[in-house]
Amino acid sequence: MRTDTHQAPQGEGKGRTIILTVMMAVITAIMFSHGKIPQDPKEAIALIVTFLFANTLFFLLIYTGKTDRYRAVYFSTFAVALIISFISHMFEARGSMSLSEAKVLQCEVPFCHLVIPMTLVPMALTKTIIFPGSLIGGYASIASMFVLWIGATLALGRGFCSWGCFYGGLDDGFSRVLKRPVIKKINPKWIYLPFAVLLFVVLTAAAYLSPTYCTWFCPFKAVTEFEAVTSTKILIQTIIFVSLFIGLVIVLPILTKRRTQCAFLCPFGAMQSLTNKINVFDVRIDKEKCVKCKRCIQVCPTLSMSEESLEQGRPRITCMKCGKCIDNCPKGAISYHVKGTDVAGNNRAYRLLFLFAAFLFISIFSSHIIQDGIIRVLKLITTGSMIS
Amino acid sequence: MPKIRSILGYMWAGAAIIVVFATFLGSSIFGRALVAASGVKISPLYSGGEVVRSVDHGSYKALIHRPVFDALIGERSEGFIQLNWEPLAGLPPVIEESVDYNGDGKEDFSVRIDTKTGKTTLTRINPQVASIEESVKLDDGWVARVQLKKD
Amino acid sequence: MLMQGLFLGLSNGVTCVAYCTPVLIPYMLGEGKSVAQNFLALSQFLLGRLAGYLAFAFVAWLINLSVLERLGSKGLLIGALYIIFSCFLMVYAFFKTDAPCAARSIGYIAGKIKVPFLIPILAGLLSGLAFCPPFLLAMTDAASEGSLSYSLFFFFMFFIGTSIFFIPIPFVGMLRRLTALRIIGKMAAGIVGLYYLYAGIITVIAGVKGI
Repeated sequence: MRTDTHQAPQGEGKGRTIILTVMMAVITAIMFSHGKIPQDPKEAIALIVTFLFANTLFFLLIYTGKTDRYRAVYFSTFAVALIISFISHMFEARGSMSLSEAKVLQCEVPFCHLVIPMTLVPMALTKTIIFPGSLIGGYASIASMFVLWIGATLALGRGFCSWGCFYGGLDDGFSRVLKRPVIKKINPKWIYLPFAVLLFVVLTAAAYLSPTYCTWFCPFKAVTEFEAVTSTKILIQTIIFVSLFIGLVIVLPILTKRRTQCAFLCPFGAMQSLTNKINVFDVRIDKEKCVKCKRCIQVCPTLSMSEESLEQGRPRITCMKCGKCIDNCPKGAISYHVKGTDVAGNNRAYRLLFLFAAFLFISIFSSHIIQDGIIRVLKLITTGSMIS
Repeated sequence: MPKIRSILGYMWAGAAIIVVFATFLGSSIFGRALVAASGVKISPLYSGGEVVRSVDHGSYKALIHRPVFDALIGERSEGFIQLNWEPLAGLPPVIEESVDYNGDGKEDFSVRIDTKTGKTTLTRINPQVASIEESVKLDDGWVARVQLKKD
Repeated sequence: MLMQGLFLGLSNGVTCVAYCTPVLIPYMLGEGKSVAQNFLALSQFLLGRLAGYLAFAFVAWLINLSVLERLGSKGLLIGALYIIFSCFLMVYAFFKTDAPCAARSIGYIAGKIKVPFLIPILAGLLSGLAFCPPFLLAMTDAASEGSLSYSLFFFFMFFIGTSIFFIPIPFVGMLRRLTALRIIGKMAAGIVGLYYLYAGIITVIAGVKGI
């Protein structure tokens, strides 16, 4: 519901935007290139394109005051680039997307952040990681992912799910296909399901010393790697993850315009929600400005906004800090906030502080993946194949 | 007091930006430090456990791992022992290995692998030896896991 | 000799708990009961478990188990129990009911008695019957002796040894004021139910093939 006194999100002036963008540009130029200018033309093109892409989006984020729209472009691009890069890498390393027994026995399986919740209890009790991966070195090592997770948790809390997760861009992207949702009513109790999944996988992983979410549920195996179907059990597991991918990552996001995988399944997201309690950034509602139009409740991709939120002046702990409610609030009542400060205080400063941290995170984290994705596409155009 | 809280909040928010820098700039250093400080390893259920013995066969060597019965706390009643064969000058067409895994001086089982076809035959001597769990060709060698029951 | 059962239970109890917590913790969280009431539920669970253990102590003495295994009837029995149990868990988790138990008619009776007994007892019975790995060890030891009373007492002592490790679980009742945890517990119980449905179907198929 839009009113005559719609208040668009406030961006920064041109001068300040340029200064901030130049700062970001210097940082990203160093971090994207690792201080070296690539000799290969494809690598050089990829670096320049990624650099321009990142800094253009940052400029628009700061200047227009709109967060979610530009964040989502970056986020979805990251997810698509990961699929291109990862699958190409699998074909180069193994000749297929399927995970062979040999790779498992040699502990060469790439580790992703979704495994982390299942490893914690066994790690505490046995000092071992229940995953056939490489601790240090290799592709997607366990230690590097843990460092990333700890850094993201300290800096962003569950904001990682909107500014870091290389899978989230998929259901985020699909949720924007239609202009209006086909399925409008969703029982809010479904937001507890990821916590139930988290409880289940943590208990079963500890009991069986096996990453049960990876083995049985993870829908993103459909676009990364999966076990070759050599038994009935693996066939059932394959049916489950493919169904979850099609249902929760593609179909339901399109129909509901929500991030259904992230909101209703992901146990890592559930765990990250708990870290929102200790993160410095949050989203707050200025109750004096709020007219209870409930637009934020309609648009929140994870159902983190509710009538209770409007009363309390804050979303649920499942808030991913994507900025969609902020962009859609007709009264400008919702904003990023720094804990300890006044809710009705300097919202623009809070936003800048959050965006700088969040954008730095996503741009650095995604840079080599987006660059590799571009290189693969250029290889495809020039040689007819994405793989070396 | 509100002013102090506000200043601390801003400092904490600024620290978040520094944390992002540190995460990426120090990723490999922090990773190594994390592993060293925590002493974590890959679970023996996946890594096969430590190698306790190496047998030199001339053109290849056999690596015998320790029996793995690891559980969350204590040990499980069923486990396995992993055997790796690494070529020094190539794997032979047939690998034959006799193993005494419990150190009592008596052979517990023997394994015969046809490296061309992958056919693996287990000859059980000790009744605690169950069956072949895996027998897989690697990029550079062969690995087999034999299921065991606890004494 | 009979203390061996106790020591075997003590040395393997943690594994028993690890295998049982995916059912117990979601159920207790979902019920939202106090610590004392959770101890009651735990004792129902352990009662079911003891019944399972003693039933198989009797079987271990009575019939040669390798015959049973070849026949595959163990698989059919366990698989069928898994499937029934999974249905109870899923109805309990996903359907709104005021009855303390998911099955309405039994829940009506349970409501009269005011003791929600079915799920903990079934879960206990299943864990006792389903040959959890430490239990297999005990089975081998007990079956090696000829006397029924030895077999029964051995399993009873093994049961005592493993049960000690279940004592901390009812303390999840301290979290009962968090309403969200009740919903989460119920949903987790539903997911466990789905797992038992899968396990039951697979076990029945293996049992049918074994006949």
